Amino acid sequence: MSQALPHLSRSRYLAAGIVLLALLLLAIALLSLAVGARAIPLGEVIDTLLNPEATGTNATIMRDLRLPRTLLGLVVGAALGLSGAIMQGVTRNPLADPGLLGIHAGAALFVVLGIALLGLASLTAYVWLGFLGAAMATIIVYAVASLGREGATPVKLALAGAAVTAAFSSVTSGILLTNAVTLDAFRFWQVGSLAGRGNDILFGVTPFLALGIVLALITGRLLDAMALGDDIARGHGQRVMLSRALAAVAWIILSGGATAALGPIAFVGLIVPHAARAITGPSYRWILPYSALLAPILLLGADIVGRVVAPPGELQVGIVTAAIGAPLFVLLVRRRRLAEL
Amino acid sequence: MTAMPDPHEFIDIGAEVAGIRETLARRRWLVVSGLALVLLALFATAMILGDYPVTLPRIVASLLSPLTGEAQRGIDFIVLGVRLPRALVAVMAGAAFGISGTLFQTVLRNPLASPDIIGITAGASTAAVAAIVLLQWGGGMLALAALVGGLGTAGAIYALAWHRGVSPYRVVLVGIGIAAVMTAIMSYMFTRARLIEVQQALTWLTGSLNGMQMKDATQLAIGAGIVGLLLIPLSRAAGTLELGDDMARALGSRVERARFLLLGLAVCLCAIATAATGPIAFVALMAGPIARLLLGPATGSLVPAALTGALVTLGADIVAQHFIAGVQLPVGVITGGIGACFLILMLIAANRSGRTS
Amino acid sequence: MRKPLLTALLAFGLSTVPALAEWTYIDGGGKTITLPEAPKRIVAHANAAAALIPLGIRPVAIYVDSPVADDMSLKGLDLTGIEIIGEAWGEIDIEKLAAIDPDLIVAEFWPLEKAYSGMEASAAADATLIEGIAPVGGPAQGDSIVTLIADYEALAASLGADLGKPEIAAAKVRFEAARDAFKTGVAAKPDFQALAVWAGTDALYVASPDGSSELSDFKAWGLDIVTPETADDRGYWETLSWENADKYQPDLVMVDDRSATTIDTAKAQPTWTTIKAAAAGAVTNWPAFWMRNYKVYAEQLEHLTGVIAATDEHLSER
Repeated sequence: MSQALPHLSRSRYLAAGIVLLALLLLAIALLSLAVGARAIPLGEVIDTLLNPEATGTNATIMRDLRLPRTLLGLVVGAALGLSGAIMQGVTRNPLADPGLLGIHAGAALFVVLGIALLGLASLTAYVWLGFLGAAMATIIVYAVASLGREGATPVKLALAGAAVTAAFSSVTSGILLTNAVTLDAFRFWQVGSLAGRGNDILFGVTPFLALGIVLALITGRLLDAMALGDDIARGHGQRVMLSRALAAVAWIILSGGATAALGPIAFVGLIVPHAARAITGPSYRWILPYSALLAPILLLGADIVGRVVAPPGELQVGIVTAAIGAPLFVLLVRRRRLAEL
Repeated sequence: MTAMPDPHEFIDIGAEVAGIRETLARRRWLVVSGLALVLLALFATAMILGDYPVTLPRIVASLLSPLTGEAQRGIDFIVLGVRLPRALVAVMAGAAFGISGTLFQTVLRNPLASPDIIGITAGASTAAVAAIVLLQWGGGMLALAALVGGLGTAGAIYALAWHRGVSPYRVVLVGIGIAAVMTAIMSYMFTRARLIEVQQALTWLTGSLNGMQMKDATQLAIGAGIVGLLLIPLSRAAGTLELGDDMARALGSRVERARFLLLGLAVCLCAIATAATGPIAFVALMAGPIARLLLGPATGSLVPAALTGALVTLGADIVAQHFIAGVQLPVGVITGGIGACFLILMLIAANRSGRTS
Repeated sequence: MRKPLLTALLAFGLSTVPALAEWTYIDGGGKTITLPEAPKRIVAHANAAAALIPLGIRPVAIYVDSPVADDMSLKGLDLTGIEIIGEAWGEIDIEKLAAIDPDLIVAEFWPLEKAYSGMEASAAADATLIEGIAPVGGPAQGDSIVTLIADYEALAASLGADLGKPEIAAAKVRFEAARDAFKTGVAAKPDFQALAVWAGTDALYVASPDGSSELSDFKAWGLDIVTPETADDRGYWETLSWENADKYQPDLVMVDDRSATTIDTAKAQPTWTTIKAAAAGAVTNWPAFWMRNYKVYAEQLEHLTGVIAATDEHLSER
């Protein structure tokens, strides 16, 4: 579409877009502090923001519930967007998504094992188990898919992801079906939510996710080369294996950390890179930052919607992202050939 | 595109050479009869194994009792009331999943395009979970909800994927999207329901053959039988579609219509079987590819796929019931495990033969 | 009385002779079960076993909705010699059940679900299959644990239990004393109000006292329990976002004790202490849905009475 534009003005236009998105994200983040299941007057919101010493229930809610939740939404959102973009770039698979590549099943299995065998019950404990499970699932999926000469091709990755998901899920169901106590705890993790995640989880995952985000942004240039196809990339002297490994590490950290922190979140990692690509065109130098900004906008926006639609309760963010993401996804599928990555 | 042997690879040459044709026919016959024999052996095993001690002669006597009139109350209950319907449902549901999955894979030309991956199963499951959690339905009404859910979802996927015709690729993508939404809805209902309903729903979701009775077997036989009969005149069209749209069109096949009818019947089979047993994981996905591996270049994979599906389901149920001390697991837990091993083997086989995607 | 009837029947040329002690039981679902004699071999659901064993009726086998160790109702009961034929919900081993050849299966009837415990619709173990082995029946879930126990007493008596045994009578006396003390204790604090909750990481669930038999009992005996404003469609719970945890301000919070971790989950939430009672430590357990005999009911009531006596009835007003 914009190929006709001269290179310079196109870059300017895309850079302006980033500033615009950053502003939008800031606005959404502020909204996320101000809006919730409990109505807090705007004046009090501003007072509390300006005065960190404020006390009272509303101040507690803003400081201990909404602030960590918003920050976590920002970090995890960026992680989800970037992980989806990287994986779609590396595998050239339009459906590369944590759920389809075994991450969710791996995290779920480890969380269930932790509840059932170790009696763990806190979200903080789930984080590390989820991370471990996600990492293990990814490594297995990647190892299995890399068997053979031509390495991890898109279809082999998808099949390996389905296989690992099947294996892990059947063990998970086996445990859940014979252990009601575990099921009772697990069902609230499985839905994917920002609620109830406090500072401990925020401080726990942020260093990892920050590292992952930096790695991901570095891989942008490599992805552009790889998008040309392995043979061409090799011809251009790119060290394909190395860049793949780097991307895989970033992917494990980002999607594993995100799933560990919130539980499985559908569609954000899948849809955002496609939306970003629709704006920026095929260059990962732009797709990555756009994904990193669009995803938290979607995630926080969805969370805000979830907080206000079912008072005095809330709707989990995983439900809302599925409800928003699915129509967008279908629209994309109908409008573009997703395979053209 | 596919990682599996393509049964039509050799057709054009094979049609010329009668000898090859004969070899292929013999191989197909061997595969079908071999599968049937193993299935028979498994069926006998399913009838013999159990916590209630019954000897083989008494089982045979019990099976023949409707003819001989020699009733043995306790044993008849176990043999005719518990083990026989369970094994029959396993065989029929497995066969239905196998045929359904193979049709999907053939028509959509994608080894991953089985009803469990592209959202049909998820639709049926969501309707069933809603029926359990919101309406406290069970039994026949639950089966009906699953049936309606499966068919409705299939219709929605087809309609959403329609854009100047239906490309298989779009059906798969839209289906995966729908499956993700359905999963989210189910997760949500799980957090809102009472624990006992969640357990009930989860058991159903895993696919279980516990508590199957003759009436379940009869219903399944009638439903699947009708669809099976409708399928016979269409099975040739399935083979043509596998060659690709352009080729099929060139051969004079009305592509859109054949695809619609075949998918419709595949959805019906899947929904009927799901309504009876719940979604038994991965049977639909792996039956076709296993059958094709056995057949090699021979064609006509529907009957072998049906036998394979039945075999896997019945075998998995025997393992689930008797081979893990102390617990009776739903059959879906085992088929999920088998499915995983199978997919990995498939990958390794694809590597060895040097095929790429 | 019996003789003339026999003669009359013989005179009519009937070949069947009515059993000397025909056993009839009308269960909570309104179903009449008639057996030629009082059933001896009984299979019971865990909750039914928890009611029957203290009354002197030992089932030959039980089925449990969870591993036996996790079942609150079976805690402290001697299960030696009792076969376990199911340790997951809806998973009754039909073949083992048939091999046991029971005379009667005792399970509670759930009026809302119109089904027996562990045999709810679409449960893996189908009720009609089980009823092919032996009749299923039991007291109905209602609005009082006391009525439930009384129904079990009637059933146990018809099965041949001697309810006059000292330890059985003593348990009942102790319960009645505990109940009276509870009434007195509650009456002494007219402004006292309690709140029953279950805590999840996503939300705080406020129980409706009408949705649980023991809360209904407490309410009937004078304890003021918060009735949530907007309970869900079946009237069990109101879901509060943790942001709205302070919606109700009781003097005492009772936390569902079916899982030991529920209270930890609650304490981990920053707004848990916006409930003043929680901040002041006025928190106790709610023996939720599992009490089935006088012994545990007495223990729980004595504990709760003590907690109420030690709690400030004007706590929520400060």
